[in-house]
Formats: sequence, structure tokens, C-alpha cells
Amino acid sequence: MSSDVGQQHPLALYFWIWGLLFVISAGSYLIDFFQVGYDVGTMELRWALILVFMFLKAGYIVAVFMHLKWERLALIYALLLPPGVLLVLVGLMAWESDYTWLTRVVYFGAEVAPVALSPADTLGHH
Amino acid sequence: MAEATAESTGLKSIAEDWSSDITTFKGVPWGKAMMWIFLLSDTFIFSIFLTSYMTVRATTAEAWPNPSEVFSLTLFGTTVPLLLIAIMTFDLITSSGTMALAVNYGYRRDKKKAVIFMLATAFFGAVFVGMQAFEWTKLIQEGVRPWGNDWGAAQFGSCFFMITGFHGLHVSAGVVYLIIISYRVWRGYYDNTNFEIVEITGLYWHFVDLVWVFIFAFFYLW
Amino acid sequence: MAQAEIPYQEAIPLHDPHSWITKYWFSQDHKVIAVQYGITAVAVGLVALVLSWIMRTQIGFPGAVEWITPDIYYQSVTMHGMIMVIYLLTAFLLGSFGNYLVPLMLGARDMVFPFVNMISYHVYLASVLILMAGYLFPGTLGGPTGAGWTLYPPQAILSGTPGADWGILTMLASLAVFIVAFTMGGLNYITTILQARTRGMTMMRMPLSIWGIGMATVLGLLAFPALFVSAIMMTLDNLIGTSFFMPAINSAFDAGEDYQGGSPLLFQHLFWFFGHPEVYIVALPAFGVVSDLISVHARKNIFGYRLMVWAIVAIGGLSFIVWAHHMYVAGMHPYFGFFFATTTLIIAVPTAIKVYNWTLTLWRANIRFTVPMLFAIAFVLTFVVGGLTGLFLGNVIVDVPLSDTYFVVAHFHMVMGVAPILVIFGGIYHWYPKITGRMLNDTIGRIHFWITFIGTYAIYFPMHFLAIPRRYYEYNVGESAILTQSMDILNQSITITAYIVGIAQFLFIYNLIVSYRRGREAGDNPWEANSLEWRTPQTPPVHGNWGESLPTVHRWAYDYSVPGEEKDFIPQDVPRKAQA
Repeated sequence: MSSDVGQQHPLALYFWIWGLLFVISAGSYLIDFFQVGYDVGTMELRWALILVFMFLKAGYIVAVFMHLKWERLALIYALLLPPGVLLVLVGLMAWESDYTWLTRVVYFGAEVAPVALSPADTLGHH
Repeated sequence: MAEATAESTGLKSIAEDWSSDITTFKGVPWGKAMMWIFLLSDTFIFSIFLTSYMTVRATTAEAWPNPSEVFSLTLFGTTVPLLLIAIMTFDLITSSGTMALAVNYGYRRDKKKAVIFMLATAFFGAVFVGMQAFEWTKLIQEGVRPWGNDWGAAQFGSCFFMITGFHGLHVSAGVVYLIIISYRVWRGYYDNTNFEIVEITGLYWHFVDLVWVFIFAFFYLW
Repeated sequence: MAQAEIPYQEAIPLHDPHSWITKYWFSQDHKVIAVQYGITAVAVGLVALVLSWIMRTQIGFPGAVEWITPDIYYQSVTMHGMIMVIYLLTAFLLGSFGNYLVPLMLGARDMVFPFVNMISYHVYLASVLILMAGYLFPGTLGGPTGAGWTLYPPQAILSGTPGADWGILTMLASLAVFIVAFTMGGLNYITTILQARTRGMTMMRMPLSIWGIGMATVLGLLAFPALFVSAIMMTLDNLIGTSFFMPAINSAFDAGEDYQGGSPLLFQHLFWFFGHPEVYIVALPAFGVVSDLISVHARKNIFGYRLMVWAIVAIGGLSFIVWAHHMYVAGMHPYFGFFFATTTLIIAVPTAIKVYNWTLTLWRANIRFTVPMLFAIAFVLTFVVGGLTGLFLGNVIVDVPLSDTYFVVAHFHMVMGVAPILVIFGGIYHWYPKITGRMLNDTIGRIHFWITFIGTYAIYFPMHFLAIPRRYYEYNVGESAILTQSMDILNQSITITAYIVGIAQFLFIYNLIVSYRRGREAGDNPWEANSLEWRTPQTPPVHGNWGESLPTVHRWAYDYSVPGEEKDFIPQDVPRKAQA
């Protein structure tokens, strides 16, 4: 077997991506550190930032570390298309759970608790 | 494998690969194809875990405990939100990097460095599981149980223990897998190959990290 | 042009067996594993057959047999359903046909990972044993679960349902173990299909059996996760009292647990997100195999091969977005009915295309009415009836009154119970000569066929008109008798027919055993078929299948009755003539 197959790329690339992943992780952690959505900005901003950082990080891991970027298109599409049905499931279940919530509150008289307690309330420290 | 592999661009290349004989994924060893397909199946498992979590969280009329508060750590008198989870995230990213290096050295036929970096990866994985054990212990001491907690919806604990537990099992299995494979690489089981086994192991490991990206975003940050 | 090297294939290290144990028990030969899967599936299928007798006895002659209590009745219904769908149909069509046919039809020496394949069977065996272990907890512990094969919570794990303590746990554990077994096998099938075909074997030259098995495997790998996850969540609900599926309202009925705010609808969605693809996991291999049977025994190429392939692919994709048509009366979001009725009617299109193509293959063909062919034609006839009633049930407004009646029971037994089983029979009659080297007895085969075909029609066709609720233990209790006398007579006749059809299956098993030693010698290619499994140097094929070198494929598998040719079949490895 010849040795010219497999995924060989310059080490520098890996270090770059590695560093980038740290930066992205730090970014998504900072969303919570600065309490985006609670102390600053809106919840919509928080959710958008979470998704942006999540997809960036996932994308770099799959594309570079798992070498998908260099695979042939036949494999790339075979792997990326099937999860599309999951989007249908997630979308419909999001819609469905809104409806379930509505029936519980409207028809079953479930009381909507405004805000959850925090550990500080029950444990007395922090 | 001496397969003629044409340029892989455009729909034409997809059609050509899929309509060829012998192999559909040109230049992909059997083990690697199998691992990719397994990971696709595993993607569905974790996606359905997360979809279930979304559903129970969105349907409950109880309030959902704020993970930022629940998972904060107090260091030197200041409370830092999600600190432990952040450390775990960086730990996993570190392990992903060492794994990528192991794969690279494997393909360079540098067995020694490949084994060292695989074992380093296993080490960071074990550290992750250790931190997870600490996290679980802390929560259990604070009164969180799979069937309920003092702060809000019961499903908070259920989803937390189930999803992080299943992910933790994957990490633990990965650690064992890495140790076995690095031992076998060291003993020369794969000397006649391209060391694609290191890449296959790496695919699994990066996938475990990938899952954590989604758990971190949806469970801890949302 | 130089021949492309086949990666690994030529030099695959085969683990040749050294002892009886490694040859017949821990064998890594895909053909032995296929037979192991087949025997286990048939054995567990016989259990399901007896269970169906138990429930039919109660329905036809209520109270006639004293020990059929409500618990026994519901346990029989549940176990019958689950065994048939998962442990017989899925295991046989993929574990047995898949294992046997994939390497042989593709010209491979074995599966790509024979060791994993071997483990797969033994894990499957373990799942069957765990399932049967439900019967080890009788009496006070409750025996196997009686929740119905859909295992809907909350009732599946609340006390009062038979087997709510241990039965449901053995069921869920068994399913999880089965999924592990299937994953190991399935990864092998799909990797072999994609990466280990022989020279000249392009995807569009694969026999339709392989397309059906391959697509069903993909569906399995992507749909079983939903069942796996819901099995885990229900186990947690049952064992440690989480509330994924258990709503607060149950706390009033069940003193033991304090459930709060789970969503039973979530389980139904997850179950059917698995369950509908599961229908096609069973149907697609049957579609594929029956296409090959019809083409071989009609001595004619399959009509519209490409369309058949694309129909399989389209059905596979669509099967993931139709699931909630099983839930029209579940109280889901009111707009969902519109969405799922639409997708359901769309999926009927590729399915109908397949039926047309089978029919058109038969049209003006030189049909040989062999036993496999009889079963293949019977499949089409049964599938059409089951498919047409599916159109009624797919439409919300028609489905609402029909839900939970015997119309539904008749529909799914026709379309995914009897129809695939007829294909399994046809396939066994067709490939038994290759597996053993001997033909099955033809006379017994014909008797078996006619009793099975007419019998199953006599069982399920009248059920459409029975219009009574399903899953009732007894209909006529004192003042509240709801059945007319004619319904009673119909029920009794169905029960008696079920006894007869069941007994006929033992005839089949007798045939399998006796023909193994005494059957007529089959030769290499008794049906004069084209696909590669009939071109092995030995019959039965030996370990490694192909001797020195792998075959080279030059044509599709359907060159039957080609004009101007001497014989009416040209096997796939016969080179094309040079163009004049």
C-alpha cells in the first residue's frame, strides 16, 4: 500500500485551529460570564450568540480535526444530508411542545411558576 | 490503495463516485467508513436526547432552574458562573488538539509521538470524567436528584444526569479505546498499515468533543 | 485498461474454523451467521405464533379456556406484536437475508468485519433471551409486559398493567440490547455494500434485494436511536422515578411514585419516529427480494429498474417525516394532521410505482409458477390490499373513527405482517438450494403456500368489516353485550382459520428439516438465475465464497429472455459481446 493517502496536513494548521477553538470556546463562555440576556442585551441576542459560537466550533472540529473538509464530496454529502430529518423532528417537536404547554396552562390549570429558585435560596450560602 | 481518484468537485464528482464500482467512498478504508457511519447513527442518539430535553423543558409549567447559577463556583469569595463547565470545555478542546496531533504523527509513521499524544488525549479524557464526577457530587449534595430538586422543574435533574451521564460514558469508553489502540500501535499491530487506525480512533474522540459543544450550548448556556 | 485493485478484498484474512465451536457457533462466516439468525428468528417466531393462538382463542371463544386471564391475554398481544416486528421480521430480513445475500450478491468474500458480525448474532441471541426472561417472573412479579407492543406510557409502567414491575424492564432492556446487535450487523451490511463490491459491480447493477436491504439498514441505523433513547428514558421513569413521560396526573393513581409534569406525547413521537421507518425496515428488504423473485421466475427483466431504485431511496427518505400519522387521535398539535396526512399520501406514490412495476414485469412474461413465484405473487396481492386500506388510515378525517378498531389490525397485518412473511417464505424456497445444496419438497411447499395464502386472507380480509374496537379482552359482558351474532361467528371462523394456518407452518418446518438430508440435489443454479450468488464455484458456497479470484461483473442482474440469445438468462459475470 502506498503511503500517499490518508490525511496529511501541515502541523501549523492544527495549531491555528486549536487556538481558534480556544477562542471560540472562550467566546461562548463569555456569553454567560457577562450574563448576556439577563444583565445586558436581550434573550434573543443570547440565543443568537450561543448558536453562532456553537456552529462555528462544531464546524471547525468537523471540517478540520475530523478532516471532513478534505474528504470527497460523495462522503461529505452522505454524512451531512441524513441529519436533515432531525431538523424536521426538532422543528415539529418545538411546535408541539408549545401546544402541550398551552393545553396544560389553559385546560389543566397548571400554574406557571414565574422564576425558578436559585441554589442560594435553598442552600443559604453563595 | 491505488485507486484513480479524480478531482472531487461539483455534483459531477458525487455522481461519478456513487456510480462507480468497488468503492463508493474513494480512498476511504473500511474501518473509517464504518466509524463515520456509526458516528452518524450516534449523532441521531444524542440529537434525540437533546430533542427530548427541549420538549420536556418547553412543556413543563414549572420554571427551569438557571444553569448559570446552579453550575457556578465560588472561588476566593467571588462567585464565577459556569466556571467548572468552562474548565471542562477547555480540557476537552485540549484533548481534541492532542488527538489531532496524534493522527498527524500517525500518518507520518512517527509511532512514538503518535502513542504519546494518544495517551495524552486519554489523560485529558480521564480528567474530564473526574471533573464530571466532582460536578455530579456537588449537585447531589445540593439536593438535585433525577426525580426532583428544590429549585424548579423535576426534569432539570433528569435531563442533566441522563445526558451528561451518557456523554460521560462515551468519554470513558473513548479513554479505554484510546489506551487499547495506543498499546496495539506501540506493539506494532498496525506496522503494515497506514496507521489509519489512529485517525479512526480520532474520529470517535472528536465526535465526543463535538457532542459536548452541543450539550454546552443547549444545556448549560440556553 | 488495467483492472482496478480491490482494496483488502483479494487478501482478506479469513478466520478459517478449526473446531465445531468455531465452525457452527462462533463462526465468522457470513453464511453461517445468516443461518444462525434465521433459525433463532424462526424459533422465536413460533413462540409468537402460539401467542397469537392464545389471543385468538380468547376472542373467538371467550371464557372457553380458563387460564387465559386478562393478564395472559394482554401479555400475549404485546409479546406477539413485539416479537413479530422486531425479533422475527427485522432480524430475519436483515440478519438472515442481509447476511447471506450481501456478500454473495456483491461478489465479496465476506462482510467487511466478520468478527463484529459474529458478535452481532450473539448479542441478538442475548436480546431474545432477555425478552423471554419476562416469562421467568410470573405470578406476583407479573410476568412479561402487557402494555401493547407500542408500550405507551403512562399505562405501560403503572401498576395494574401486567408486567409493570419486571416485564416492562426486561422488554426495554431486550430492545436496547437488540439495537446494539442491529447496529453491529447494520454497520457491516452498509459498509460492505458501499465499500466492498467486486469489479464492475456498480450501484446501478446491484440486484434490487441489495438495494432494499441496504436502504433498510440505513433506516435502521438512523431510526433505532429514537427507540433506544426512549427505552432509556422509560427505564429511568420506571426504575428511579424520573418524569420524562409521566405526567403529574398519575400521582393520584400510583401511590409509589411522585411523578410531575412529564410528556406522554413525547414518547409517542419518539416511538413513531422510530416506528414508521421500522415499517419500511421490514418492507424495503421485502420489496427488494420480491422484485428479484418475480424477475427470475417470470424470465423477464424487472420493469423500470432505475425507478425501482429511486422509489426505494425516496421511500427511505420520506419514511422519516410521516411518523405522526399513527397519532391522529393522540391529542397532538391540531395542525399536525394536515402535515402528516400530506406526507403520508406522498409516500404512497413511490410505493404505488413499485406495485405497477411488479405487475408490468409479470405482464406477458414467461411465468414459471414455482413455489417462490407463488409466494411472490401472493405478496403483491396482499400488499395491494394492505396498501389501499393505508390510504383510508392516512387521511385524518377517515382515520379518526377507524382508530383502534380491527380495521387497523387488518391493515397492518396485511401490509407489514403477512406480506413480508410471504416474501420470507418465497426467499427461503428460492435460496434454500444455495444454502444447503438441496431443493425443498415441492408438494409440501405448494400445500404450505395455498393454506398460508388463502388462510391469511380468510383471517385478515373479514377483519376489515368487523368494525369492533381492538385490544378488548371480552366484548359481551352481561348487559353490555356489543357484538351481534354474525360478528361472533366471524370471530370464531377467524380463530379456527388461524389454528389451521398456524399448523401449516409446522409443515414448512418439517420440509426444512427433511429436505436438508433427503431433498433433491439442486445443482449450482436450479432457477437459472443471473445474480452472483448462483455463480459460486461450490454449492453450498465455502468459506471465502469465490475460490481463487473474485468474479467480474459485466451486466445488470436482469438479463432474462434477451432476444437473439441462446439461453433465456445471462449471468452477471458473462462478458458482453464486442460490438459488431
